[in-house]
Amino acid sequence: MVDSLKVRLFKEKLFLIGIAVLTISTVLPLFHIMFSIAANGIPVLLKGGWDFITGTLAPPGGGLGGIGPAIVGTFILTVLASLMGLPVAVLTGIYAAEYPNSLIGRATKTLLMVMMEFPTILVGLFVMDIVVLPMGSYSAIAGALSLAIVMMPYVAVYTDEALRNIPPKYREGAFALGLTRFKVVFRVLIGLARKGIMTGILIGIAKVAGETAPLLFTAGGATRVYFAGLNRPVGAIPLLIYQLVQQPYTNYHEIAWGASLLLMLIFLAIFLPIRLSLKEVKL
Amino acid sequence: MGKDGYIDTFKYFLLPFCLFVFGLFALMLAVYFSASIPIFKHEGLKIYTTNAWIASENPNKEFYGVLAAIYGSVYTSVLAVLIALPLSISFAVFVIDYAPRRLKEPLIVATDVMAGLPTIIYGIWGAFVLVPLLKKCVMDPLYAHFSFIPLFSFKPVTGYSYLSAGVLLGIMVTPFASAIIREAYRSLPFMYREAIYSLGATRYEATKILIKQIKPAIVAGLLLAFGRAIGETVAVSLVIGNTFNISPSLFAPGYTISSLIANQFGNAFIYKYMVSALFAAGLSLFFIGLAVNILGILILRRYGHGR
Repeated sequence: MVDSLKVRLFKEKLFLIGIAVLTISTVLPLFHIMFSIAANGIPVLLKGGWDFITGTLAPPGGGLGGIGPAIVGTFILTVLASLMGLPVAVLTGIYAAEYPNSLIGRATKTLLMVMMEFPTILVGLFVMDIVVLPMGSYSAIAGALSLAIVMMPYVAVYTDEALRNIPPKYREGAFALGLTRFKVVFRVLIGLARKGIMTGILIGIAKVAGETAPLLFTAGGATRVYFAGLNRPVGAIPLLIYQLVQQPYTNYHEIAWGASLLLMLIFLAIFLPIRLSLKEVKL
Repeated sequence: MGKDGYIDTFKYFLLPFCLFVFGLFALMLAVYFSASIPIFKHEGLKIYTTNAWIASENPNKEFYGVLAAIYGSVYTSVLAVLIALPLSISFAVFVIDYAPRRLKEPLIVATDVMAGLPTIIYGIWGAFVLVPLLKKCVMDPLYAHFSFIPLFSFKPVTGYSYLSAGVLLGIMVTPFASAIIREAYRSLPFMYREAIYSLGATRYEATKILIKQIKPAIVAGLLLAFGRAIGETVAVSLVIGNTFNISPSLFAPGYTISSLIANQFGNAFIYKYMVSALFAAGLSLFFIGLAVNILGILILRRYGHGR
């Protein structure tokens, strides 16, 4: 049974309009979110001025103060997490790429992909149990370890894929010169794959700079003290937003909007250049 | 050093790092198991099969059941997938085949930004913008006219509900599912399209046939989206209402496993068994997440749509 041509063309038109509308509804929330964050955040930043970035949190119900400790905390946590996570991530990625057909190589790749999708709150709870409980206090170290575990699979998977995408002739050429495998990988292949690896590192950093759940029971949060040592609690912008949204005070909600705007700008500043430069590479 | 010598040194230099990652994952599983043991000893599997949250100074009176949270996690994640299904497929098809050339790249960049956007941003927008909007435009009218249907039977008092969480999660995971479906759809040989059109098919009929070819990728994309949705914490906990509740109604507040952990962990150490109960809840999330993600990844790999 075939419908008449008229019916078929009508269905086609309906279908095209339908998927166009659904496509618009897919991206519409992004613009609504960006608009809401900008509309609510810009007045806060203007009102708070420079103090909003450097100062400490205002008391409930009065004024804005600043989110300085959270900004410092996010910076410290991201740097520490990178120091802990990146070496392991890159070396694991190299292993997965160099031994793609061995049992451990294949298992590593699968594990990395599973870890990429793993609920981050579970990582936070885990680190709480192995670091925070023995130390007896929330700490920058615990928060950074948590973020390092979240960051690790992203960087490793990107490293693996960057190495796999290198044409085999470079590897063959390098071996033909009589280089050892060490030198082939670290002197030749890593250099060729550096753009892909850098992309992975930046994506990992963008990811953990915005993470909240892994920090809930590890970093602890700080709103009045900038930094008191690696074994002391530390703030983070996403964590601060999460805590402020749940408070009943209007000025805390305003601060949360302002902090969200900052967080969004930080994320876009890292993410957009990578994403836009990738287009050239992929071709 | 012999012929095999240098290959082995390289391998043995890297191997410890690999094993470290495996060890970390195994340690994580071990920690969840061992931390859950006290609650299993205290009340057995009732932790998963009852809905109760009795915190007490007296450890003998303590009783916890996280069924409401498991129910809420599955409910909201299913809602999210139902929303993501039509959106992500339409987006993939439209962007690859029908979007004006100049719009293609901006649309894809927009969804990539959505996929990476910090989840707390979705959270604050959800709590302050989406919830009031849904309450006013969806929940109140539906409740006013259709409250005899169980799905709409709960009076939306605050707007914090399964529906709010499901919609927010749907928005968050659509770009993610769509990226997987898009890659698979793009990789269909151009020959298929030529063959279909040469038979005189309309674009609707052609797309229907092409979509059938990438069914495994669609299933995998939605599974991985489900896995993301069920693990999401902060955005959900700001819109779900955080109430121990098992209700079929979309407008009722509830809990999810991750929001339960986020909410209750802070004061859990006062009680003897609560920490263990929360680890047991985490253990269930661990297995749900692991199963869904492994299945999704295996399907992708098997049908050659691996990322």
